[in-house]
Amino acid sequence: MADRRYETLVLIHPDQGEPGAKELATRIRTLVEEQGGAVTQVQEWGLRDLAHTIGKQRRAFYILFEYRVASKGLDEIQRTLKLMDPVLRFVSVRRPEGAPPAPPRPAKREREREDAEFERGEFEGLGEGEV
Amino acid sequence: MPRDKSDRRGAKSEGRGPRRRGMGRRKVCRFCADKAMLIDYKDARGLGNFLSERGKIIPGRITGTCARHQRQLTVAIKQARTVALLPYTSAYP
Repeated sequence: MADRRYETLVLIHPDQGEPGAKELATRIRTLVEEQGGAVTQVQEWGLRDLAHTIGKQRRAFYILFEYRVASKGLDEIQRTLKLMDPVLRFVSVRRPEGAPPAPPRPAKREREREDAEFERGEFEGLGEGEV
Repeated sequence: MPRDKSDRRGAKSEGRGPRRRGMGRRKVCRFCADKAMLIDYKDARGLGNFLSERGKIIPGRITGTCARHQRQLTVAIKQARTVALLPYTSAYP
């Protein structure tokens, strides 16, 4: 069957803790494989602050999966993810065939520094608008 | 400030360029200018440049983004909002 390339970013409830999140990562991975998918990459971004609250939570574990499956398999994966209680939310995106794999996230320390800079400099937007 | 083209087209009104109100450079779509620049919902920092202080999406006519890339951009921003990488709004309790 025509397998397509997808990527899913999953947000896991912070109460799961690091080990719980890791365990869920393997569970989701096997879920994808059960659906005939081939996982090409799993990235754990760790506990991150959310830009807005989701289900009264301010933080969540982020895990990114890259894989190939048939679209039927993806439907089933999404259905199962919706039923998983510790999964706050997820987004699945089709990736074009030729797209490069998602670059790894920078190491945590560096990332925090960048995020802090982002937070400060961030939303001044592109004000200079001449309408 | 005065654009050189204005002299060429017969002296209509004052010497401003044709059809171009106001001054300032023509903005070029950033994604067209730099092909290596990809629109990715995971890149919250990059997408943040196209949000107002309130977290609203800035129209392409202001940022200079071409229609095609603006479409891709809005989709990416909305995906990023779903997974809380970007805010829907700044004023948040």
